[in-house]
Amino acid sequence: MGIRDQFGSYAWDDAEISELVDPKLGIITGFQELLDQLEVLRKIDLEATPPAGDISPK
Amino acid sequence: MTATLAFASLSEISSRLRNREVSATELIDLYADRIERLAEESKAFICVDIEAARGRAASIDKNFDDELPLNGIPYSCKDLFNVKGLPTTGGSQVLQDNLVHEDAEVVKRMNQAGANFIGKNNLHEFAYGATGENTLYGTPPNPYDPSRLAGGSSSGSAAAVGFGLCAAALGTDTGGSVRAPASLCGLVGFKPTYGRISTEGVVPYSWTLDHVGTLTRKAADAGLLFDSLASEPKTPVQTSLHNLTIGIPQSFFFERCDSEILDSIDALMNFLHREGAILKPVPMPSMEFTRAVSLAVQMPEALSYHNRYLEQRGHLYSRDFRAGLALGQCLLAEQYIRGKRFIETYRNDMDRLFAEVDVILTPATPVIAPKIGVIEVTVDGYAEPAGNAITRYTSFFNMTGHPAITLPCGMHSKGLPIGAQLVGKHFGDEQLIDIAQQVESGYDFELPLPDLG
Repeated sequence: MGIRDQFGSYAWDDAEISELVDPKLGIITGFQELLDQLEVLRKIDLEATPPAGDISPK
Repeated sequence: MTATLAFASLSEISSRLRNREVSATELIDLYADRIERLAEESKAFICVDIEAARGRAASIDKNFDDELPLNGIPYSCKDLFNVKGLPTTGGSQVLQDNLVHEDAEVVKRMNQAGANFIGKNNLHEFAYGATGENTLYGTPPNPYDPSRLAGGSSSGSAAAVGFGLCAAALGTDTGGSVRAPASLCGLVGFKPTYGRISTEGVVPYSWTLDHVGTLTRKAADAGLLFDSLASEPKTPVQTSLHNLTIGIPQSFFFERCDSEILDSIDALMNFLHREGAILKPVPMPSMEFTRAVSLAVQMPEALSYHNRYLEQRGHLYSRDFRAGLALGQCLLAEQYIRGKRFIETYRNDMDRLFAEVDVILTPATPVIAPKIGVIEVTVDGYAEPAGNAITRYTSFFNMTGHPAITLPCGMHSKGLPIGAQLVGKHFGDEQLIDIAQQVESGYDFELPLPDLG
């Protein structure tokens, strides 16, 4: 079994996955745009900025 | 008992209770009658608990405790909040049998302050969406026009207060889900600094972005609720509009906006200027990728919570929420972490900006309440999904965690309310509410009551 096959996932049906990449129902309309934008963000150097956590009084 | 009392502010109702001009029982009777008459029309409630509320009201009347700040005030909450002895459905078929045995922390605090719970409000299923559409419980309409949305996701909470069915309501705000529907319905919507009101016992949507908020008629009402709900109550501040520095975003927040909404905000800015406030144009962080960042964080978090139900009950979710959860499955861990790191940069950018201003002013929404069933709205020739438009000016502040309040500031020629949004510094919640109160009391604008026939 390949590594990819060992990743667990809920069994979305084909129509739902298709809807992400080829939207016909008008539900998720921007998945490709989202991926494109995330790819732009991936290339931005955030240096050592940590993930956002709780907010404390200063 | 007049219908006018049903539309009175929480502050006024509290005052009348304390002066024994009205009893807690009379109040419950008033709202119970209205809920019975308007339940179908408003679609505001998923369940009501009037008999229990009557029992509590009788106890309150028997020995009225003036020390309790919310004594006898009838309120409702979005059906994401646990209330002991009632199911928390999330507005979904998935949790129809989810009977809970302990109150959410905020429900405990409301009850400790003397408030009288009357029911649980309709919502967009599990808070996924700003239109408030719900195939199971119906879509709450706008009290000013039944052909239009109340907005969401706290749609029933907005409708409950907007239709005069309770004095105040609790909601959750992950991208504007308290502030936007409040604004569309002519109410005051407040979300605190991230974490200042507990989310314990509230069905989560996105831990990073969820805030518990309040929907009321007046900013002072939001202050009364905040005093009882906040984790660290502070001494109320006295702020003057004179010399207050108000940041006016130079980009994004006044773009692709209905021209009448812009006119109303202009009029509000003129008032603030006359009161001696300093209006300072401020550069905002780039908003180009904020929606992507928000989605990269919220959908994996929503999926992570709902994984507990997907195997057994996945078929009971609505189609749109399942599609959103599927999207969450398709994002990488690094994209999620990167999203949270961008949120940190947004917070830092805004904290730097708040070193120069006291509050920021924006329109609450770029559009008035859209028609029910509409998929897209168009402003300035640019079409976008109705839900995206409704929360376009609010969602950024869920990422930055700054307190924000929306309040009515005009009526559109189409007969629908227009709202402004004020955003404050982290932990400046009390100051923000105080400023909103001063705007509300000084600005010459009185919202007409909705004509409910």
